[in-house]
Amino acid sequence: MASTRDIRRRIKSVKNTRQITRAMELVAASKMKRAQQATLAGRPYALLMADMLGALASRVDGTQHPFLEKREIKTRGILLLTTNIGLCGALNANLFKLVGEVKSAAKFVAIGRKGAQYLARTKRDLIAEFVVDDRGSFNEVKVAIEFMTERFLAGEIDTIEVIYPRFKNTLVQTPLLRPVLPLSNVRDFAATLEVEAGVHSDSPTDTREMLFEPSAPEVLDALLPFYVNRFIHQLVLSARASEFSARMVAMKTAKDNASKLLDDLTLEYNKARQAAITQEILEIAAAQYVAA
Amino acid sequence: MSLTLEIVTPEARVYSDTVDSVVIPTVEGEIGILPGHLPLLTQVAHGELVVAQPGGGQERLAIGGGFAQISGDKVSVLAEHACSEDSIDERAVEEAMKRAQQQIEESQHLDPQQYEQLQKLVNYAGAQLSLKRRSR
Repeated sequence: MASTRDIRRRIKSVKNTRQITRAMELVAASKMKRAQQATLAGRPYALLMADMLGALASRVDGTQHPFLEKREIKTRGILLLTTNIGLCGALNANLFKLVGEVKSAAKFVAIGRKGAQYLARTKRDLIAEFVVDDRGSFNEVKVAIEFMTERFLAGEIDTIEVIYPRFKNTLVQTPLLRPVLPLSNVRDFAATLEVEAGVHSDSPTDTREMLFEPSAPEVLDALLPFYVNRFIHQLVLSARASEFSARMVAMKTAKDNASKLLDDLTLEYNKARQAAITQEILEIAAAQYVAA
Repeated sequence: MSLTLEIVTPEARVYSDTVDSVVIPTVEGEIGILPGHLPLLTQVAHGELVVAQPGGGQERLAIGGGFAQISGDKVSVLAEHACSEDSIDERAVEEAMKRAQQQIEESQHLDPQQYEQLQKLVNYAGAQLSLKRRSR
């Protein structure tokens, strides 16, 4: 049986661990709240944008803009959204599983250090890594997106896809591969978004001739890059909300584990202490008996 | 007959209500929208959006860059920024505008993206100020 001193030492260390995990849980919880609000607030915007794009794309010729054009896919361009630090359960591991399923030729761009490390380790073609702060500010994300769209327009990559953890609720985050460009079928895309958000447009679709001001190509030129930027930004926000949710849950589990361990150790300690006392009394009693 | 107006920014859904008519600042000038308008998709400029409410009241909002779609009797505005007249803090906006202008003037080697960003800020601040001052 372990000595009482050993047990006391372990109790102390487990207590420390519990304190740290509790602090991390609280930090993650407050960040999670903000991140969740941001991603939920951004959803109507993304939806409306997809709706507009759908209305526009169904009325113009698909060859008018390189973003809409269907082309032969030689090299895929994949943006991987991961966290910068670990301690968030299986979040990153689940994303890496999706990356592993990509067998065709692909070039990767990473946001988040964990993803970059993984891509380097598995010898994937990592062309750039970007750092985005915890809030997922638009300006920082924009740099990464513009880097990718430039490559896309230059023909270096033929698609833009994003692998990210989609935020569903605090307990559930699903890893997802979402194609962003080329937008060959915007209408279907807008429909899937609506289904995911749990809304459907109750207004009948207006199929009448639509006016564009200043002109259809000009609106298209303005709306498409804007759309790509905002849409991927929304995915980053979703990834951030997932990260903090996963971290909070992981830290809560760790804290609960520590508490349970602490209970067991305290019990063991008390038993050992009691045994030592009983032993001592027995010895004294025996000694007195002999003396008498 | 009435219109449904919806104004959405990345941060929130700013406005969602039934209105009589709405005036939107577009890149080609202001357009007034009444019920029964043709379907239209247009680029929105920085400026002032005027809503005529069913009771006869009027509401003004400062709006910064985006798109507007009219489809059926639904007007949807997708804007980078939007705020109502009451929520504009004149001093804060003035300061923000000054800061942005200063940055533009001071640094000669701004990359075009940053410049565009700052210019947008200045335009939006300008729109907010002109709205606030006119109403006095």
